[in-house]
Amino acid sequence: MDKKITIMIVDDEPIVRESFLHWFERLGYRVETAASGIEALEKLKQFGFDLLFVDIKMPGMNGIELLGKVKEEYPDTIVVIITAYGSIDTAVEAMKKGAADYLLKPFKPEQLSLVMEKVLNQKKLITEYQYLKGRLDKISRFENIIGQSKAMQTIFSLIQEVAQSDSSVLIVGETGTGKELIAKAVHAKSRRAQHPFIAINCGALPDSLLESELFGYQKGAFTGATHPRKGFLEIVSGGTLFLDEIGETSPKMQVDLLRVLQEKKITRLGDRSLIDVDFRLISATRRDLEEEIQKGNFREDFFYRIHVITIAVPGLRDRKDDIPLLVEHFVEKYSHETTKKVDQVSRDAMALLQDYDWPGNVRELENAIERAVVLSKARTLQKEDFSFLCSPVVRTAGSRSLRDMEKTHIENVLDECDWNITRAAGILKVNRVSLHKMIKRYGLQRPL
Amino acid sequence: MKPIGVVSFGEIDGMVLKAIAAHILGYLRIDTEIFSPLGYPGYAYDPRRLQYDAGAILKAFESLPVQNYAKVIGILDADLFVPILTYVFGEARQGGKCAVVSLHRLKNNPDGSKASAPLFLERAAKVALHELGHLFNLTHCEDERCLMHFSGGIRDLDTLPPYFCRYCSVYLHDGLALL
Repeated sequence: MDKKITIMIVDDEPIVRESFLHWFERLGYRVETAASGIEALEKLKQFGFDLLFVDIKMPGMNGIELLGKVKEEYPDTIVVIITAYGSIDTAVEAMKKGAADYLLKPFKPEQLSLVMEKVLNQKKLITEYQYLKGRLDKISRFENIIGQSKAMQTIFSLIQEVAQSDSSVLIVGETGTGKELIAKAVHAKSRRAQHPFIAINCGALPDSLLESELFGYQKGAFTGATHPRKGFLEIVSGGTLFLDEIGETSPKMQVDLLRVLQEKKITRLGDRSLIDVDFRLISATRRDLEEEIQKGNFREDFFYRIHVITIAVPGLRDRKDDIPLLVEHFVEKYSHETTKKVDQVSRDAMALLQDYDWPGNVRELENAIERAVVLSKARTLQKEDFSFLCSPVVRTAGSRSLRDMEKTHIENVLDECDWNITRAAGILKVNRVSLHKMIKRYGLQRPL
Repeated sequence: MKPIGVVSFGEIDGMVLKAIAAHILGYLRIDTEIFSPLGYPGYAYDPRRLQYDAGAILKAFESLPVQNYAKVIGILDADLFVPILTYVFGEARQGGKCAVVSLHRLKNNPDGSKASAPLFLERAAKVALHELGHLFNLTHCEDERCLMHFSGGIRDLDTLPPYFCRYCSVYLHDGLALL
């Protein structure tokens, strides 16, 4: 059973509270009690609970009223109603208002076990639903890692071995080499495969947001924290946490994560109670972390914690043998997705793809194939379909006047960016309005 | 090291007490003593439920001078209840000193037939060892092949083995070492 769930018993009779408390303590749960609805709401506000056993008949706020308030303010909290024989109608009303189940006092020991089993399944479904909902927009295409080169075969056997252990893994490699796919493969082959795989890009989130995403928070922990929320470290329970761009985390976050890895316990923001966490950490970076340690940007103790096993993913230019296989895979994938009948690549086009240096690695290759398939009018992709990969012709200024040099330079940058004004302005370090003025001033025109 | 005490509330077949003491000695390798019976706990009778309140018995039991024993198991024939449950086989406070075991529901099989003497004794010993586990601060175990696994009825009790899993054994011996 999931001993991490927190339970509160709400009953005005001390003997019932004590009886429940005693029972659940023997089951190893964390249990609190409250003698009234008001006290229960106070405690919910302070600590948050996963499961409430609520007696219907209580002086002041009765169980049904409390159920209504709990469902309104803490919709994820599961409520089981406790009722006496003769008040079945009220129990039915409670079920309609969102109670997960009800127990008729006194109940057989096995009934309590069955209710707990049902409730824990429900909680698992809620957690999975939240996880999937949160991840839906982030789900990208998950494909098997493709590669027949010696380098990739070595990685495949390493994944098999690494998956069996529970040690932290550090995946290093340039951008676009498929580090997340490798992390997913390690997870899928590990004993944690049935549990969530959660990927977070540390470089994409500001420190404070990363902290609340990972650790969760209690209601009122900061402005806007209107409801308590579990962090990914809790949600990942039993699964694998993938922290991409770990090199971008602040020293403070490194200290926090180091503590979690050592103690396997966390506290939510705005809360003091310790919560047990169980996950495997896989990190990835494109930086040289040892160099970052020398520079003082990365903590040495944290580095040794996260790189028990290192998987170095080669860049695509170092495994060009895999390009035909990858090309074939992406052509099939995008012709299927775009419903275009493109199923071949000419010999010239393949030679071009194999000669190209692929600074953006597999991701760049995938984007190139997608673009070529979308724009192609024939069944076979030709060399011309990949003309955007060829280095642009760099013009040189006709005269050496500053004005001509500037005009030529702007024109070259615009061509390089396919006349994407925002990107060109970024490279030229001017704002978009200024770039438009320059284009007008020099009479530049986009080539047809 | 102080021994584990085994005592009956009222008259109980001496064979039951001996079987329980032998199981404790056998599995825990700790001295066990059977001492003079205590009075029948009439004070704990609830006329509405026609049962005996396990909590009330435990409270009275814990107030008795049993300092010569590390832990004490009380055995009685009465049908026990706690306020939220229809019945319990036994009751012990987590990490406490005393536990009670009821024989009342161990005598019959789920189909209503009478249990054989060896099966009845095995059930009594299992419940006693389980409650003793709680006295040594063991919680219910997830392993279905462990005596500390929760049993909701007589059928569950019969499927439990009469010994602890590897983890519970370690915790139990940690508890014993602290005595």
